[in-house]
Amino acid sequence: MDLGLIVYALNLASIYALMAIGISILWSSVGIINMAHGATFAISGYAAWLVTGALKPVIAAAFGKTALASMVMAGALVGSAIVAGALCGVIIYLLAFLPIHDKPNYPVRALIITLGLNIATVQGLLWTFGPRNQGLPKIFGFGRWEVFGTRIRYDQAGTIIGAIIVLGLTLAWLRYSRRGLEIRAMMQNAEGAAYSGISRQITALPVLMLTGALAGMAAALLSQTIFVSPTSGVIPLVKGLTIALLGGLGSVAGAVIGAILVGFLEAIVGAIPFLGQRYVLFATFLFIIAVLIVRPRGIGGLLDDTRE
Amino acid sequence: MSDNTYHKVGRRPWEWKLKPIGTDERPRLRLPGTRRHWLKWRDVHNPKTLRRERVLADKMPLWWTLGLGFVAIITPFMPNSMISVMSIFCIYAAINVLWTLIVGTAGIFSLATLAVVGASGYVAAAANVYLGVPWPFMLIIGPIVGFLFGAILAAPSTRLDGLYYALLTMGVAEICRVFVVQLRALTQTNGAITQVDSFIPEAWFLQRPGLLLGFAGAFLLLLGALLVWRLVNSERLGMLLRVARTSREDEAFAEAIGIDFRRARLMVFVISSAALGVVGAFYTMYYRSISPTIFSLDQLLLLFAMMVIGGLGRAEGAVVGAAIVTMIDKGLVELGPPRIILVAFIMIGVTIFAREGLTGARHQFRDYRKRKSGERRARRTEKGGEAMPEEATEVHDKQELYYRRFNKRLRDRLKTLITPELIEEHKRDPLGHHSDALARVLNYFRRAEMADKYVIHRMIPTEERFRIMAVSGVRGLPPRVVDDREYTDINDAYHAVFLLRVNDLLES
Amino acid sequence: MPELLEIRQLSAGYGPLRVLHEIDLTVREGERIGLVGLNGHGKTTLIRALTHMTGWQQGSIKLDGAEIGGTRSLGAGRRTPGLVKRGIGVAPQGDAIFPGLSVRKHLECGAHTRLAWRERKQRIERVFDIFPPLRPLEHALVGKLSGGERRMVSIGRMLMTEARLYLIDEPSLGLAPKISQRVMAALWDLSVSGAMIIAEQNVTLLTGHADRVIGMHAGRMRGDVGHVELG
Repeated sequence: MDLGLIVYALNLASIYALMAIGISILWSSVGIINMAHGATFAISGYAAWLVTGALKPVIAAAFGKTALASMVMAGALVGSAIVAGALCGVIIYLLAFLPIHDKPNYPVRALIITLGLNIATVQGLLWTFGPRNQGLPKIFGFGRWEVFGTRIRYDQAGTIIGAIIVLGLTLAWLRYSRRGLEIRAMMQNAEGAAYSGISRQITALPVLMLTGALAGMAAALLSQTIFVSPTSGVIPLVKGLTIALLGGLGSVAGAVIGAILVGFLEAIVGAIPFLGQRYVLFATFLFIIAVLIVRPRGIGGLLDDTRE
Repeated sequence: MSDNTYHKVGRRPWEWKLKPIGTDERPRLRLPGTRRHWLKWRDVHNPKTLRRERVLADKMPLWWTLGLGFVAIITPFMPNSMISVMSIFCIYAAINVLWTLIVGTAGIFSLATLAVVGASGYVAAAANVYLGVPWPFMLIIGPIVGFLFGAILAAPSTRLDGLYYALLTMGVAEICRVFVVQLRALTQTNGAITQVDSFIPEAWFLQRPGLLLGFAGAFLLLLGALLVWRLVNSERLGMLLRVARTSREDEAFAEAIGIDFRRARLMVFVISSAALGVVGAFYTMYYRSISPTIFSLDQLLLLFAMMVIGGLGRAEGAVVGAAIVTMIDKGLVELGPPRIILVAFIMIGVTIFAREGLTGARHQFRDYRKRKSGERRARRTEKGGEAMPEEATEVHDKQELYYRRFNKRLRDRLKTLITPELIEEHKRDPLGHHSDALARVLNYFRRAEMADKYVIHRMIPTEERFRIMAVSGVRGLPPRVVDDREYTDINDAYHAVFLLRVNDLLES
Repeated sequence: MPELLEIRQLSAGYGPLRVLHEIDLTVREGERIGLVGLNGHGKTTLIRALTHMTGWQQGSIKLDGAEIGGTRSLGAGRRTPGLVKRGIGVAPQGDAIFPGLSVRKHLECGAHTRLAWRERKQRIERVFDIFPPLRPLEHALVGKLSGGERRMVSIGRMLMTEARLYLIDEPSLGLAPKISQRVMAALWDLSVSGAMIIAEQNVTLLTGHADRVIGMHAGRMRGDVGHVELG
C-alpha cells in the first residue's frame, strides 16, 4: 500500500468521523437520531458558498492577492459554514426536540421530524439554487507536497489536520469541561441530572449546536474536494449514520474506529482495478452488514466487552 | 368541594345503538366456509333502561366499505390523468398495507420493502422478456422471489436491534440498486427492463380502457393486500404477536409462557414479503417496465412519509397516508418541487402534534380527555368511605355503595360525639355502664371489621403485663405489635385500645 | 426561628391516582424532620412533589417566602433543575446515580452553583471526610459500587452544594443494618444551615436525632407518631 492511498483513506476517514461523531453524540445525549445531519451539511456548504461569493470582491479590494487574503477567505468560509451548521442545530432543537422531548414515542418522532426536515431542505435547496454544482474557493491552495516520493495535495493534508484538531477539541471539551460533564451525566441518568440542577432543555441546545457545527466543519472541509450541491448531504448523511451504527450508537471511540476502517476500505476498494469507484458504497454496506451480523452492537459493543 | 357542584359521571362515550324489539335471536351471518361473522355485533345490557341493546363493536369494516366503495365508484368518471393517479394510489396503498404488517404486526423495522418489490419485479420482468414466460406466470414468479428474498432478509432480524436492522435493510436496497445498474445486459436502458408483457393489451396502453383496466387491477391488488393484512392479524399468528406486543418490554415473558414470537414475526415477515412480490410483478406489468428508481432512497422516503402521516402500524393509516401523499405528489404535479416540501412539512406537523399519525388522532384525543378527567377526579377525591362516582358505575353490587354511604354518615356523626369528656369517661371506667354517646361509639367499634380491630396480648400468662396488637384481618397472618408500650393494668390497656380506635375513627 | 418551608393544601398524584391529600407542613430553619410511614403512604411523593416530579400537583409550597408550588398537570421534572438551583438538595430514592462516571466526576456534577464549582476540590475532600469509605474509590465507576457506597455517593452529591432544604429519601433502603446506621450517623453529624427532611420507614433510626417525627398515613399527615394521644 502506498502513501497516497493512506492519505486518501485518512482524508475520507476524517470527514466521515466528523459526521459520525456528531450523530453519535447527539443520540447518546439528547436521544435524537439526526436524519437532518445531511441537510445541515448541505446548508453549511451553501452558506459558505454564498458568503465567500459575497466577500470575494471585498477581500480582493482590501488585501489584494496576498497570503493574508487567502487566510481571510479561509476564515470566512469555515466560519460561515460553522455558524450555518450551528443555526441548523438551533432549528432542529426548536422543531424536533423542544415540542416533544417529554412526550411518548419521542425517539421515533424525533427521527421522523428530522427526516422531514432533511427532505424539505434538500427540495428547498434544489428549488432555490437549482441542481447545479457550485465550487468553493480552495482555502488550502492548489499545491502539493512531495513526501517520500508521493504527492500529497494541500487540501487533503489540510482536511486531515483540520479534522483531527476539531475532533480533538470536541472530545477534550466533552471530557474535561463542565458542560461536557453535564452532558455525560444527562445521558446516563436524566432524573439524577435533574436533581443535580442539570436541565435537559438547556443542555440540549449547545449539544445540537455543536453537532451542527461539526457537520458545518465537515462541509467546509469536504467542499475542498467535491462540489456543493443540494443533494451533497445525502451521501455524508448515509455514511455518517452507517459509521455511527457500525461504531455502536453513542460510542465516540467506536465511531472514530469505524470511520477509519470505512475510510481505508473505501480507499482500497476504489484502488482495486476491477472493482473501482462504482462498488465503493456496495462494499461499505457489505462490510457493515457483515460486522453487524457478527457483532450486533457494533464496534462500541466490542469495546465494552473488552473493558468488562 | 362544595355540596352543590355536580360533575359528569361515567366514561362511556356516546355510541350508536340498535334497540332490538322483542326477544328474537339476532341473525348470525357467517362468512361461507368459516365460523367468522361479517360484522362484530354485540348485545349489551343497558343497566338504566334494563333493555337489550345491540352495538356494533368494531365499526372499521363500515368505514373501509364506505371509503373503498367511494374510490371504486368515483374513479371511472374521472379524467385520464386522475385515473392513473388513483391507480398509483392503490398500488402505493397496497405496498404500505403490507409494510404496515411488517412494521406494526411483526414489529420489524424493515426499510427493504421497496427492495423486495423491485427485486421480484425485476425477476418477473426478466423471466417475461428474456425467457418468454407469459404474463400470468409473472404473478407466480413474483411471490416466489419475494418469499425467497424475504426469507433471506428475515434471518438477521431477530439478531439485530431496530435501528441496526433498518440500516441493514437500507443497505440491501442500495446493494440491489447498484447491482441492477451495473448489469451489463441492461446498460443501454440505464438498468431498466422495458417491453414487459402485461394484462393490459398493448393497443390499450395509456388509452382510457387500458387505464381503467389498470385501475381495476390496482384496486383488486389493494383489496388483496387488505385481505392479507386482515387474515394475518385475525388468525393465530397475529394473535400470538398481539400477546407478545402487550409485553414488548418483556419479550422474555412471551417466550416463557410458550409464545414463540420470533418465529411468528419471521412468518409474518415472509408472508408479507411474498405478498410484496405479487405487488412487484403487478407494478412491472402496470408500467410495462421497471427501472432502478424503485430502489432509490427518495421513493422509500415518500412511502415512509405516507405511513407516518397516516399513522405508523395501522392499515387505515397506511391507506389514508397514501391517499394524501399521492394526491399531493402526483395530483399537483404543476406545483413542481415545492410539493415534496409540502409533504415534508405535513409530515413534520403531524409528527409534532400527533402521537400516531392522523388516524391515531381520535384515539389520542380520547386518551388525553380520559387522562384529564382522571386527574380532575383525583384532585377532588375525598377518600373515606363514600365511593367516587366513577367507581360507583363500576361496582356491581349497588348495596355495597349504600353500605359505604351509611358507614360514612355514621362515622361523621360519631366523630361529633367524641369529646374530651367522653374519653375521660371511658378512662374512668372502661367496662362499666356508659352514657348514651359512649355506648354508641363503642357499639360502632364492636361491629367493625376484623381488619380494623386490636387485641390485648398478655405477655406472660401469670403476670399482669399487656401489649396491644393489631389484627391483620388476613387468615393465617398473625397480629402485629402496635408499639412497644407495656401496660400493667388491664384497664389501661382497654383504654389504650379505645384511644387507638378513636384515633382511627377521626383519621378516616 | 424563621419559617423556611411552608406547605399549604398540597395535593399530588399520578394520573387518576391521588397520593397526597391536602398536606400542611411548616419547617423552620435548622430543623431536622423525620417522615415515617409505611410503603405507599406518600413519603416519596411528598418529596417528589417538593421538586415537581409528580404527575400532577396543586397547592402552595413556599421556600423562603417565595412560591414554588402551584397547580401543574404536565411536564414532570421540567422545573426540577430550577428548584434544585434555588436551594433544594435531593438524595432521591434509588440514588439516581450516573453509572458510567467515576466517584469524583459524580460529585463534581453536584457542584452546580458557580461557587461550589470553584471550590469543588475542597468540597470533595469534605465529602470524603464525611464518608471515608469513598476516598479509596475516588476513580472507580459508580455503577460498580455496592449499594451502601452508592447511597454515600448520592448523599455526597447532594452535599456538594449548600442548599436551604435537604430532602433525603429512604437513606436506609436496601442497606445492611450496620451500613444504614453508619449512613444515618453521618447524616446526623452534618452541620447544615438549612432544614432537612428525611423519609424513613424505620422509626428507630430517627428517634433521638430528629427534631420532629411526622407520620404519613394514606397521604395525610398524622402528627407526631409514637404517642396514642389526642389533640
